[in-house]
Amino acid sequence: MPKSPPTPLSRRDRRERTLFLVGFLAPACLVYVGFVLYPLASAIGLSAFRWRGVSAKRTFVGLQNYQRLLEDSAFLQSIRNNLWLLLVGGLATLVLALLVAHAMTGRGRVAALLRSIFLFPQVVSVVVVAVLWQFIFNPEGLLNATLRRLGLASLARTWLGDPSWALPAVGVAFVWYAVGFYVLLFSAGLQSIPQETHEAAELDGALGWRRFVTITWPLLWSVKRVAVVYLSITVMNVFALPFLMTRGGPDRASESILTYLYEQAFGFSRFGYATAVAAGNFLVVMAISLVLLFVFRRDPTEGHR
Amino acid sequence: MKRFVATSFLIAVTLAVLMPLLWVLLSSVKPSSEILGAPWGLPSMLKFENYTKAWGEAGIGRAFVNSLIITISTLLILLPIGSMAAYALAKYTFPGRNVIFGSFLGGLMFPHFLVVVPLFLLMRDLHLLDTRAGLTIVYVAYSLAFTVFVLTGFFQTLPDELREAAMLDGCGHAKVFWRVMLPLARPGLIVVGLFNAIGLWNEYGLALVLMNSEENRTLPLGIANLTMTQQYQSDWGALFAGLVIVMVPVLIVYWVFREKIHETMLAGAVKG
Repeated sequence: MPKSPPTPLSRRDRRERTLFLVGFLAPACLVYVGFVLYPLASAIGLSAFRWRGVSAKRTFVGLQNYQRLLEDSAFLQSIRNNLWLLLVGGLATLVLALLVAHAMTGRGRVAALLRSIFLFPQVVSVVVVAVLWQFIFNPEGLLNATLRRLGLASLARTWLGDPSWALPAVGVAFVWYAVGFYVLLFSAGLQSIPQETHEAAELDGALGWRRFVTITWPLLWSVKRVAVVYLSITVMNVFALPFLMTRGGPDRASESILTYLYEQAFGFSRFGYATAVAAGNFLVVMAISLVLLFVFRRDPTEGHR
Repeated sequence: MKRFVATSFLIAVTLAVLMPLLWVLLSSVKPSSEILGAPWGLPSMLKFENYTKAWGEAGIGRAFVNSLIITISTLLILLPIGSMAAYALAKYTFPGRNVIFGSFLGGLMFPHFLVVVPLFLLMRDLHLLDTRAGLTIVYVAYSLAFTVFVLTGFFQTLPDELREAAMLDGCGHAKVFWRVMLPLARPGLIVVGLFNAIGLWNEYGLALVLMNSEENRTLPLGIANLTMTQQYQSDWGALFAGLVIVMVPVLIVYWVFREKIHETMLAGAVKG
């Protein structure tokens, strides 16, 4: 049926439509503007003040807070810790997830079951994850007990109290927590690779590892781009794991940018400076995301799919 | 041979994921002294008092009720206002539409910590700090971006002809929504609601900043607090029972709706 040209709305209809739209959009927009956009806008201004939250003593310091950031060794340490987590923990997460997803191809219902199980750590509260791993790494905890039982008592240590092990321990908890989501992501990507591609590869004698390198890996390109950007945002925003497992200690060995922000804001009431920390983190995350998007910009499957 | 390697690898990973969770379950019925003393051992006796202790003395029962009230009231506000906005954005063109949709979309990308200080100050000035109503409204605000984004996509898939037919029958714009479109959107609403419910039930960061008194604590706060108070009493049994109390409802909901939840997780991730 040919579509009839839209009849011009009468004035009354138009008013009715406008009233309807305003009424339907207003509640969500008001809440959103009031509690999300307004604080976001005031964050920019806030970071230009030295302010302890008492309105009388609010000193304008311009960009000084940002300047201080660059000389603040604790802040720089926390950035280094986050970057270490991103490089080591993030890479471990991706590699592990890719291997799992690859090992699961062609296993139908078992694969679906395993995917669901691997997401358990992601579905339970991150508080549960943190407390659980705190007890695994406890000096009398599950890990040391296992080492002692295996006759490796010399390897046992106070993991979370050891400056060289606290951050890796947080990293292990992170991988355990995060890996299931990337398995899901990669499996979805692998399922989108047409069966014919796999069959054609098989006819050409490409099997196992070779098939993985020549077909699976390149075809997963766009999924990898989503994964690395998403992962870097997640890692740069870790808070609950280090906060609950180590409080950022010992001696800031596992301090993350957000645990440092929390300390500055809610431990010392340095609200202006803490907001500058937040903005600094945001800039770092943006920079990382842009670099990653640039690195992963070209789709190698383009042209010869 | 290759298949054998792959299978063993998958078994190892599955054990690595499940063992810690099963360990929590096992420890939750152990006498406190055996949780760290003999972490691998089976309990010498089943100590279900851990649960009554966690629920009562340790304050987990109260935290459970708080979490339930806050999660449900958030959804009761979020779903109606979110779906109304999503419907208007999906089915109508009007000046400012792209700006509104764009600012919701932007809310998906920016991390919440960026606003945590100004949000804290705002809530303080509104005298909403440490109140369940305050946390609820904040939860509504910070769940809106995702909810509007997913529901707009959902409403766009519903045929326009239905709306037009209902309008010809003399229904007003709002009536078409409540009578025709919203019932059709029920599957989408259920998934978005469950997905939000899991996230809200587990939420820690905002609750930590905005709530502090014992009587208003949500479950994640209650658990985190227990790890500190019990440090001095070494009563770990109640803590592990508390962990189970937080985990189990979420895992049940997740298991029942896992396929739908996976889809939503992927939709949320591919947004960027």
